[in-house]
Amino acid sequence: MKTLIKIKPKDYKAGDIVKIDFMAMHPMETGMRKDKDSGQLIPAHYIDEVKFMFNDQLITKMVIWESLSVNPLMSISFKVPGEGTLKVVAKDNKGQSVESTAKITPKG
Amino acid sequence: MRRVTLCAVALSAALCGILNADEKLSMSDADKAMYAELLESNPAEMDVAEGEQLFGDLIGSEAYAKVLGVKEKDLPKHIAGFPRYVDSAKKVVTLAQTIQMAAASVGKPVPKLESKEMVKMSAYVKSLANGQKTSIDVKANKHMAEMHKLGQQVFEERRGGRGLSCNSCHSTDIVGQRLRMQPLPDLGAKETAAAGTWPAYRMTQSQMVTLDKRMQQCMKNALLAEIPLGSREMVALEVYVTNKTKGNPISIPSVKR
Amino acid sequence: MERRSFLKGFGVAAACAVALPHVASAADEKKVVGPNEMKFETAVAAITGGKALVASSKVKMEAPEIAENGAVVPVKVTVESPMTQKEYVKAIHVLASKNGNVRCANIYLTPANGEAFFGTRVKLGGTQDVVAIAEMSDGSFLTAKQNVKVTIGGCG
Repeated sequence: MKTLIKIKPKDYKAGDIVKIDFMAMHPMETGMRKDKDSGQLIPAHYIDEVKFMFNDQLITKMVIWESLSVNPLMSISFKVPGEGTLKVVAKDNKGQSVESTAKITPKG
Repeated sequence: MRRVTLCAVALSAALCGILNADEKLSMSDADKAMYAELLESNPAEMDVAEGEQLFGDLIGSEAYAKVLGVKEKDLPKHIAGFPRYVDSAKKVVTLAQTIQMAAASVGKPVPKLESKEMVKMSAYVKSLANGQKTSIDVKANKHMAEMHKLGQQVFEERRGGRGLSCNSCHSTDIVGQRLRMQPLPDLGAKETAAAGTWPAYRMTQSQMVTLDKRMQQCMKNALLAEIPLGSREMVALEVYVTNKTKGNPISIPSVKR
Repeated sequence: MERRSFLKGFGVAAACAVALPHVASAADEKKVVGPNEMKFETAVAAITGGKALVASSKVKMEAPEIAENGAVVPVKVTVESPMTQKEYVKAIHVLASKNGNVRCANIYLTPANGEAFFGTRVKLGGTQDVVAIAEMSDGSFLTAKQNVKVTIGGCG
């Protein structure tokens, strides 16, 4: 599962509220779609949980359902307390999970 | 004959909703702004990042610049002018074809034009020219002039069981009409910047698609035989369509419906 | 009727006729039920535990009035509220009122968010309301919705 974390805006200070965009390459199969060749239903396969952590403290926990678009975006606000590491852990309903990190480096 | 004509028009209107521009059916500015934000968090960015890695492993920009016969620092400007006539190929080629040439030049396996790796690599290479203006020059030499002329022929040639051409839906006098709910875009308009914004993430397909592949998809849906990727006709079509948007900025990857 | 404009219209009709058989066959098939099928009322009751939902302008629900396609519909929810330990938005729930499983996302926030915001993109099976429910720290539930018309695009 490829992922991408974007902090917006790029430049921010401690105390600023920034947006954290988390994207993942994931099929987000609903379980209601048929394979064109076999005619069989494609089993549901979707990200079902995402946790955002800053210095290992939970900021936001998400329960995600198959209605999010393929290659989904999840965006939250975050009030930057200072320097640290942002960690996002995404897990899907087949038990695959991926951990992505980004450095939080306020300027000034 | 007149009755048949009227029936056909009524049918076409019923099927496809050909309507003149009507505010109720158009997206509001607020709606458009929401879609524009998709550009800021585009899933295809992950593909372009992967393309950078694939390209670095396969070729690298130094060897690539050498194949194109330019300095590494001039790559962005040079890339903005594709498709171009390339001496070593002795023909007009697309960026994807230059990646094939470069892979061959360093003794690596040549990626197929339709491969997923090629889509990602060609998007990465074109993204090096982000911010540059599309600078194709169809008068640069006789090869380019020929390809531009051929491209126009292909664009206007009515083919398939229904006798459609690219021009059937993309002529300048039909722009703004609707195909179902979709306004037909002006391929040359600044806001469309068509050729400068492919490869793009297609929302309907949830994947990044190249310009030539997009044109194939258009042909398929209009019941035309698909012109093969890399063929003289397809490259010519890319030359013709790219020239329509000359001067508009390159921005890769974009997001399309 | 000028021949020219007739041809134009016909050309476009022919171009999209190709997609019509899909529409017909979809209607003939039995409805496929997904693994997490849940109706709107059930999902709302599960969130609120039966408490009242109050429509509120404090919940700002942004989604396009007209979506170019149902596969990627941008949705943004912002809730006007302090984000302190004493008073904050505990959760933002996003529902698509007519999808098979109406639940899209349940977002559990903390004061560390600084602002109660969630942005995403959802799949919509057709024209429907996208609904946001904000669960406040005082135990109340505020809501807002936006109707999204899902249109069928051009050819491909």
